[in-house]
Amino acid sequence: MLNFLLSRLARAFLTIMLVMTFAFVVLRLSGDPAMVMLGPDAPKDAVDAFRARWGLNDPIWQQYLAYLTQILTFDFGVSMRDQSPAIDLVLERIPATLALTIPALILKVGIGIPAGVYAALHRESIADRGVIMMSIFGFTIPSFVLGLVLVLIFAVTLDWLPSGGQDTWRHAILPIATMSVGGIGILARFSRSAMIEVLGQPYIRTAMAKGLPWRDVVWKHALRNAAVPIVTLVGFMVGALIAGAVVVESIFSWPGVGRLIVVSVSNRDLAVVQCLLLVIASSMVIANLFVDLAYGLLDPRLRHKSAAH
Amino acid sequence: MTAPLLQARGLVQEYATARSFFGKTSTVRAVDGIDLTVRQGEILGIVGESGSGKSTLGRMLLGLETPAGGEVLYQGAPMPAPRTDAWRKLRAQMQLIFQDPLAALDRRMTIAAQIAEPLEIHGIAKGAEAAERLAALMARVGLRRDQADRYPHELSGGQRQRVVIARALATNPGFLVCDEPVSALDVSIQAQVVNLLRDLQEQEGLTMVFISHDLKVVRNICDRVAVMYLGRVVEEAPSDLLFADPRHPYTRALVSSIPKPGQGLHGRIILQGEPPNPAARPAGCAFHPRCAFADRGCAARVPELQHDGRRQIACLKPDAAAATAA
Amino acid sequence: MTDATLTAPRPGIITRMRLKMPFLVVLSSGWIIAMVLVAIFADLLRPYEITQMNLSARLVPMGTPGHLLGTDELGRDMLSRLIQSIRVSLVIAFGATILSALFGTTLGFLAAQFRGWVEHVVMALADFQAALPFMIMSLAVLAFFGSSMVLLVCLMGFYGWERYARIARGLAISASAQGYAAAVVQLGAKPSRVYLRHILPNVASTLIVSMTLTFPEIILMESGLSFLGLGVQPPQTSLGNLVGFGREYLTRAPWIMLAPSVVIVLTTLSISLLGDWLRDRLDPTIR
Repeated sequence: MLNFLLSRLARAFLTIMLVMTFAFVVLRLSGDPAMVMLGPDAPKDAVDAFRARWGLNDPIWQQYLAYLTQILTFDFGVSMRDQSPAIDLVLERIPATLALTIPALILKVGIGIPAGVYAALHRESIADRGVIMMSIFGFTIPSFVLGLVLVLIFAVTLDWLPSGGQDTWRHAILPIATMSVGGIGILARFSRSAMIEVLGQPYIRTAMAKGLPWRDVVWKHALRNAAVPIVTLVGFMVGALIAGAVVVESIFSWPGVGRLIVVSVSNRDLAVVQCLLLVIASSMVIANLFVDLAYGLLDPRLRHKSAAH
Repeated sequence: MTAPLLQARGLVQEYATARSFFGKTSTVRAVDGIDLTVRQGEILGIVGESGSGKSTLGRMLLGLETPAGGEVLYQGAPMPAPRTDAWRKLRAQMQLIFQDPLAALDRRMTIAAQIAEPLEIHGIAKGAEAAERLAALMARVGLRRDQADRYPHELSGGQRQRVVIARALATNPGFLVCDEPVSALDVSIQAQVVNLLRDLQEQEGLTMVFISHDLKVVRNICDRVAVMYLGRVVEEAPSDLLFADPRHPYTRALVSSIPKPGQGLHGRIILQGEPPNPAARPAGCAFHPRCAFADRGCAARVPELQHDGRRQIACLKPDAAAATAA
Repeated sequence: MTDATLTAPRPGIITRMRLKMPFLVVLSSGWIIAMVLVAIFADLLRPYEITQMNLSARLVPMGTPGHLLGTDELGRDMLSRLIQSIRVSLVIAFGATILSALFGTTLGFLAAQFRGWVEHVVMALADFQAALPFMIMSLAVLAFFGSSMVLLVCLMGFYGWERYARIARGLAISASAQGYAAAVVQLGAKPSRVYLRHILPNVASTLIVSMTLTFPEIILMESGLSFLGLGVQPPQTSLGNLVGFGREYLTRAPWIMLAPSVVIVLTTLSISLLGDWLRDRLDPTIR
């Protein structure tokens, strides 16, 4: 178990290192960092100060090391637009985003998994076909189309709900609905195929053959085994809690992380973009780490397998 | 006695298992010091239980694996390193026949294309000449002409093995290793394929190493037999001698398990103890925990293979064993 | 090479084909073919130039004679803009799908052939790619480099490469372990022959299925970026641009947004249905 833990930690660390390297390489490839970070109109002495501070005249590997140390001390630079530290800008947006993504995740899990499991247990029934069709629609309709259609219906035509902003809980209904639909479809379909796969395994037939009640077969054997792949997907969704709202926040003018990304990218506010990239990547990597640990609890075999790799 | 075609000297093979996060490895010795000579035109049988290292030995004889120790000489020259150009060129002269013909064939290619592939790879024949050779090869292994455009899954197991044999023979190799060539086949088909191999060997003077756990088949086809136990040869003798008068306790147990017509399994020696596990090799003679004649000396010393007339045997107490046999 | 599977008779394919939604699949194929034809013959089909303005006919609703799908606020014909957008979106998605399949498969094969550190590097990169939301990475790259058509295709060309790499590596390793690939190596074939003549045709059906599943996701990714104004840049236009643009006129002229939305949904839906169907037919082993 210790081996397993250490190898997962090493992997998570490696991934974050790769993200940082990615940001570093892309920044260097895109031109003179001083110009890019400070903007083309920056005064000469500011550019020189920046160059000196970031050691832009040093060899590239020294710059890389300096860059890593900066990031490890949570120094992500300063936003080009309002001169406040990038990390503060990012952190203050996170609660707003979570206010949308956490309810959406609860809806996805609460509706998607039961629907998928039900469909798998009643294959070829009308409910099953309904779940399949709904799930296919769920993830072929892009969120920006769904969001606008919902606005068109509920805000413009019926005037029941506001179309944008963040003042009351009613403002959150449409964004959350938009965000959940696709995820419900994906989870339902995924749970369905995971369950069907498990139900076809020999140990299920064995459990049935030894006269175990069907309810017990489903609860004790099938669900427990189907949970392993489903947990991966849910873990991925947990990891995407901070990242997964780019389009929806833009549609509904919700002042969260997603809108910050879009605005910063449009303005080429690179310090903020870089900080966002690292924060989001870290949150995903940490979520993945927890998923791996959950695996260990759900499936003891994996501990040994992963350790052997 | 004819000249040796292939010689193995002190072959050792080890595999790493269960590597932990900190890079600790434990190694398993699959083959533990084997000397072997394969003479021109003979069929050498290699028998042993699963885990005895016989398949690994076969792959090393062909140069498909690089031994961890020792060397293989083919026609007096050392085996080139795998996947080099010299090694690839040598493939035309030595071929492997697989246990599972369905796995060894590409399911997306017609059998004609697969049988002819070695000709293409080694640039031996093209166009009409290749077609002619293909037809001859198919006829030689007993495949019908109209089966040329079939895919592997459309053929029976026996026919697939004929395809594999035809492909192996395409380049007219001098040396063939058959690794359990019939064990995946129905018993009724086994005899046909064994007879085919024997006929081919007689017609072309092929040299073969025939690996099997099935002593009936080995007795049927082989000129000489080497018995393996946990990576070592424990007894090696001409086929008739080995089956008529096995000496090593392990060989005797194996031979006694062959049913004889009208006799049932009378006098069968049932081996006690654990089946061989290369990861936990007993000290001394690897067979001693299961040997009826073993004493304390057997647990201390590893017996060397020694000449005894026409046979070679690796046993510390061959006389005790022989006495009970008589 | 793949037609070997299609011609190789397998019991029950026809009956199973009839049983499962053949009508929907036929419909999907019809729609996809129509979209491809529109993309190819965009120049002939388009009634107007996409930038041609007609200030006397601004925000004309759907069904107006001469402007079947209406016009935008500059009086530009929406049908013409839609046709051009279909071409741009499909070209990007098609190019990107092929790029990512090529890139991923090559890396997967390299990992399988060389094992050791090459494999470790490829797999670490694949993990890295899978661990990050692609949208965020694309946004970061676009922020650093600014948007251009070539960059967009290349960027989208990284979408999903890790799936091909994993599939190609896994199948190649299992083939090389004891299967047909090992047999061919043993015949003396060079790696190029082993991979191109044997392994590639055998994994092609799986890769093609994977491509049909990635394709709609790339369309969605591109239109999402374009919707946000960070993908395809004006005066060029893609389906996402049209929707994003229509958003401004949601109350006054909802048709601007509806027509491209319908095209996006129907196209991704058709390809997904076809991909699912193909997967069930060609690859009963993966789910």
